[in-house]
This record gives sequence, C-alpha cells and structure tokens, in this order.
Amino acid sequence: MKNKRYFQFIAFLIIAAFAVVGCSDKSSSKSGGTSSGEAASELTYASTSDAAGLSPIDTNDSVSSNVTGQIYETLFTQDPKTLEPEPLLAESYETPDDNTWVIKLREGITFHDGTPFNAEAVKYTFEQIKDPERAAPRASLLAPIESIEAKDEYTVVLKTKEPYGPMLAALSHTNAAIVSPEADKEGDIGKNPVGTGPFVFEEWVEGDHITLKRNEDYWREPAALEKVTFKVVPETSTAISMLETGEVQFIDALPSDQLPRIESIKSAEVQKSEGTRVSYLGFNMEKAPFNELEFRQAVAYGVDQEAYVAQLNGLGTYNESIIGPKVFGYNEEAKNEGYPFDQEKAKEMIKENGYSGQKVTLLAANRDNYMKMAEIVQSQLTEIGLSVEIETMEWATFLDTARKGNYEMTFLGWSNSTADGSELLYPNLHSDNIDSSNYSRYNNEAFDKLVQESRSTVDQEVRKEKLHEANIMAIKDAPWIVMEHGTVTAAYDKSVSGLVVDPTGKWSLYNVSRK
Amino acid sequence: MIGLIVRRFLQLILLLLGISFLVFMSMHIAPGDPATIIGGPTASASDLEAIRDNLGLDRPVIVQYADYLGGILQGDFGYSFQTGQSVTDAIITRFPNTIKLATASMIVAIIIGIVTGIISAIKQNSWIDLSSTTFALAGVSIPNFWLGAMLILVFAVNLQWLPVGGLSAPIYTIEGMKELILPAITLGTASAALIARMSRSAMLEVIRSDYIRTAKAKGVKQRSLIWIHALRNAMIPVVTVIGINFGGLLGGTIITEQVFAINGIGRLMIDAIAARDFPIVQGTVLLVAAIFVFVNLIVDVIYAFIDPRITYN
Repeated sequence: MKNKRYFQFIAFLIIAAFAVVGCSDKSSSKSGGTSSGEAASELTYASTSDAAGLSPIDTNDSVSSNVTGQIYETLFTQDPKTLEPEPLLAESYETPDDNTWVIKLREGITFHDGTPFNAEAVKYTFEQIKDPERAAPRASLLAPIESIEAKDEYTVVLKTKEPYGPMLAALSHTNAAIVSPEADKEGDIGKNPVGTGPFVFEEWVEGDHITLKRNEDYWREPAALEKVTFKVVPETSTAISMLETGEVQFIDALPSDQLPRIESIKSAEVQKSEGTRVSYLGFNMEKAPFNELEFRQAVAYGVDQEAYVAQLNGLGTYNESIIGPKVFGYNEEAKNEGYPFDQEKAKEMIKENGYSGQKVTLLAANRDNYMKMAEIVQSQLTEIGLSVEIETMEWATFLDTARKGNYEMTFLGWSNSTADGSELLYPNLHSDNIDSSNYSRYNNEAFDKLVQESRSTVDQEVRKEKLHEANIMAIKDAPWIVMEHGTVTAAYDKSVSGLVVDPTGKWSLYNVSRK
Repeated sequence: MIGLIVRRFLQLILLLLGISFLVFMSMHIAPGDPATIIGGPTASASDLEAIRDNLGLDRPVIVQYADYLGGILQGDFGYSFQTGQSVTDAIITRFPNTIKLATASMIVAIIIGIVTGIISAIKQNSWIDLSSTTFALAGVSIPNFWLGAMLILVFAVNLQWLPVGGLSAPIYTIEGMKELILPAITLGTASAALIARMSRSAMLEVIRSDYIRTAKAKGVKQRSLIWIHALRNAMIPVVTVIGINFGGLLGGTIITEQVFAINGIGRLMIDAIAARDFPIVQGTVLLVAAIFVFVNLIVDVIYAFIDPRITYN
C-alpha cells in the first residue's frame, strides 16, 4: 500500500512537471533563427545583448541603433566609405545664413503605418528629441537648434542660436532618425517601431530575438533580404560557434583575442577596416602630479603603444593624434606631434622632476581591452621608476567613479558615432563637460575656444583648421595619451554579400543579400 | 500539514518584505548610476539629470521605497529602467525557459546521481565505486562555463549533432529536446555529482543498519532489499539536496544561460545588475527568494510522504 502511494506521488510529480513545461511553451514557440532550413533570403545576426528599446529618440546604445538603423531613416546619411554626409530623406539643403538651414524633403514617402512623411513629421520628431519631459538621452545632438519650422509640406527650416558646424553629422546620427508622429502619439514606438526604412518590425521576444521583415513598399528598390533576425547571444565564443555551424550568419565587433579562431573558420569571411574609435590613457587633471605637464610627458615617453597594439592580432593601429585618421578634422601632420616612446628620456624626466617612486593607481574597467592596456602600461611605467597599482571595476561602477573624478589615471575609449572631430573634442575635453563626459577634467581656455569655433563655424574648411589646431594643442598638453585607433570588424558567412561596416561601426542591411 | 503551509506562507511574506528592503537599499547605495548607463558615456550632465528625473531617482530613497511597496501591494512590480517593460512581463517571458532548463537538468542529475550513488554503495570499494566517486569529484569541480564550451565544441561544432544554443523550439518537438540536451548536461553534472555522493553515503549507512541485516537474514532478495527497503530510508537526505538544488536552479542559472544563449531569469538578473536596472533586480531577487522558500516547503511535504513517522504539528 505504502509503495503504491509513493509511486502515485512520484507519477504525479512527473506529470505536474511536464504540465508546467508544456504550458510554458506558448511564449517561446514562435521564434525563428534556428539553423536548419533557413532560406537564402534570411539573415540572422548575433548581438551580445538585447536592444534597450526600438525608439531612436529614447535610446542611445549601439545594440538598439543596429536595429533602429534598419527600421528608421535620417534626413542625411554618411557614405559608409568616406563618411561624407549625403541626403537620404532630405532631397537638398541650403544655408541662406549661418544660423538657418532650409531642408527640402523627398516627396511621396510614407511611414510603415501609412502616415505620410513630411515636414510636420520632422518637426514633431525633433521637438520630441529636444523636449526635456521626454528626456531623450541624445538631446544634446540637437541642442544648438532653436526653432524648427515646417515651412510647407516638404520644407523644414532649422534655426540655430549660433552657427552649428556639425549640423549635417548630427542629422545623420541614428538617434536623429524620423519617427511616425501618429505611431508615437498613439502607441509606444519603443515596442512597436514605425519608420520609413527598408525593414518593417515584426516581432520582439525580449531578451531573445527581434525579427524584421522586408518593407515591400519601400520608397527605393526593396531590400534583397526578406527577413532579418537579431538574436541575443551574450557569449562571444558561443556566437562564433553559431557562425561556424550556420545558426547565425553575421557577427561584428570581434574581440581581438578571438580573432585567430574566427579567421580559421572556412565558411566565414572577416572584414576589418580602420574605425573612428580612439582608446586612451587619461589623466585626472585636477590631481597632482597628474596636472603637471612634466609628469604627463614622462609617462607619455614611457608608454610603448606598439607593444600593446602588437597583442591585438592585427586590430587597432597606433598614431599620436587624438583625432583619428577616419575622423573629420584629422590632419596627417598631427600624427607625429606627440611624445614617441623613449624609455631613457622618460626615466630621466622622472628622476629630474623628483617623481621617482611616485605611487600611481591605474583605474581600469573589466571589459573590452582595458585590463590588457592597464597591465602593459603598469609594467612599462614601473620600468621608468613609478610605483604602479591597478584598480579594477565593473562597468557601471567605473563610469560613476570616473565621472566624479575619483581616480588618478584611467583607460577609456570613444567611439565617435558621427565621425566629426568636434563630437570628439567637445564632449571629452571641453570644460563645459567637466562632471559629465570630460572624464579627464581638462580645462584649457585656449583649447575650449578653438573647439567652440570648430562647432560654431559652418565653413567646413575653417572647421578643419580649427580642429587641427585644437588637436595639436591637446596632443602637446597630453591630458590623454592615445593607446590605439580602433579597427571595425565583422565576420559573416560566405553566402552573405554587400555588407559594409562603416568606420563608426554602423552597418545597413539594405544592400545585403545571400547567395 | 495545512498548519505548516499557512505558517510557511506567513513567513514567506515577512521574508520577502525584508528582502525587498535589503535589495532596494543595497541597489541604491551601491556605486553606479542607472542614468549613466542609459545615457551612455556621451550623455551630457543635463541629459543625465533629465533621465534621473524621468525615472524618479531624484526623490529621497525612502519615498521611492514606499512607492515601490505601494505598487507591489497592487500587484505592480514596476517597470524596467532600460526597456520600460513591466517587471512582471519581463519575468513571465523568461521564466518558462528557466523552468525547462532547471527541470531537464534536474532529471539528468537525479537519474545519474541516484543510480551511480546506489551502485557505488552496493559495490563499495570496487572499481565501479572508485570511478563513480571520481566522477562525482570531477563533476563538482569542473566549472560550468568550461564544460558548456567544451560540449558545444564537440557536439555542436565538430559533430554537429546538436544546436549551439538558444531555446526556441517547443519542448515536445525533437528540435526542442535537442536544444535542451547540452545545457541540461552542463547544468546537471554538478548536481548529479552532489546527489551521487549523498546517495552513496546515505545508502551505506542504511545498508549497515540492523533492520537490513534482519531482512537479509530472513531471506529477502537482494534486489528488493536495496530498491524497496534500503532506498526509501536513504532518500531523506537525498531529497533535501535535490530540493535545495532545484530551488537554486529555478532561481536562474546564470552561467549556463549565458553560455547557451538561453533567455532565462538568471540572465535577466545579471544583465539588470550590470545596467543598474533596479526594478528588474528587485523583482527577480524577490522571485528567487519566494521560489527557495516554496521549494523547501515542498521538500518538507515530500518528507512526510517518504517517512510517515514525520508529522508537522
């Protein structure tokens, strides 16, 4: 009897377990992206994390931008090779005076929900971005714009407080993409995005995948791919295995230590090209002795960046210029204006200025290549006579600590998403941004003035000169010592063609097809 | 029995209240600002302030906590800072995957664990015993992420028998089963090893007890001696281990979910911690705590089934 009851109970448990599991399938049964039988007009991309949201107004992370970039479009776009701004939803523009931008829009375009694309839509979107209530994370992109006027159905007039040089770069930014006003007013475009782009939103299983399908009524030729899936695969090594087995066809931002493995996959192609990202060793300019030029120079002479770059398996290049070769405002002359590796000179300067045995703490976030940089720099600086320790932090804690200036020297990088030099120097080194994005707390009036001029000049040649001057000043003053200029990367199945990763790391799936 | 359940539920409520307070406060005290994560390194000081205002983080912490508790009483666990999704929805989307994974790996663990444990107890000091205790030691020692990566390399990449990751097909299909095999083995190995060690020692103790010797003397067959007389009495400590393990697995299995790209509670929690997504962290921790208490309650109930002498008065 007892046995019978016992077995009945076990049987009950098993049935209950299956019932629970069986019921739970509804939410996840309808998903795509598995390996077998995937049609040649579909593409699955492995993303290291999930999108934060699908509204370009309310997000500011590259994962979300990867998706929104396929659904929405901007007024201008940067050519993926040259990064020159060219009209997309705009047809043409003129600047009757330095503070006025008259933008003529393309006619006959509709959003995915049927709402017409017109000047009102542009006005609505930009006003939303600027609205403090909405708290758009990239409100600063359009901050210099004072008023937005829909002059007629297809003409928008933007007026700025003072001339805004990087206007076209700002209007090409994914976060300045135009959204359907109807969809935004009536629903949540963060969940149900509605744009004018080549792909239409289909499904989002949060934390798992996002599916888009081809926009058959696209205003240009419809895309070649019928369906694209953004699959969340947090582990890079798992994503690489999936690329190898064909479960995904495209991964990007390849980590340097995994590169040899990826390159050994026979069915995959690897794309590498110079990017806009700059990684640097930054000093806290409000603390001694880091605020002393001699100290920073000695450190700069003592750091051998080539030794670091040599460990990146061919990703990354070194050049002394803060504004990298792919960024607007770069001038070849800048690349030798810094302090090249010279250990003897560094040792001498340390001794002469009484820095011998100086205790230094390097703050490093435990992600990307920051730990690697810290270890290499630690050993190099120890050799020139400093006493160096490394402090490691997790990313969120790091950001908070660095922003508040609670560090001595640290490593960071800047992925310049508009590829404009002003967008590098202003947020990172202008004194306006101490306590926010100017982590080095660099405060130099002459430099500020040059950067300000580079922003408030519309003449692109003049801007270039101002940026070059500011760049040289910062290289000499050395609040940052460049560690590397990044390489943008992608690996994809050999059946994929037409994929171009631009120097900012962005890509569009519009011209991509599969054989 | 009813009394026990009622008492446990009252305890659960108090416990959850305490946990909610601790988690809420520790998230707010810990360094790291949700606004800097949402705004990214490019955000200006005024952008960040606007984000903080928008999330309500500018209010005093105790007011925020009171607000949070008030919400919970109405069944509202808040909204994700990152995605704006309701915490309840975020958990409901992911929990089924965690249940699938935890159940499958527990089945693997129980079958392997109990069978090897018993065999090595019966054949104590034989080569079978030696190899199964070695397996048990290796099982608890091998890190999950390594085992997972190796299984992927061998069975998914090289042999191509099973998919690399994801849990997207329904469980009752062949595809669905295949997706579960590698993660279940990865996750189940450590538990299997624990269960094996536990069943072995419990079994050894029971086999040496007087009533088994008596039964043997009376001529009870070896098979029914072991599987009916001994096993049942050896089960109490094993059930405890299984219960606690299962509770732990249901609370999310961060590393396995990470390695196999499974969209479960563990990953939801770890991503939320990294992004300082307070409402999600609070919601998932409360869920995990509730599951632990609940599973322990079930273990107590099972005790009474296994050993009728146990009563809860």
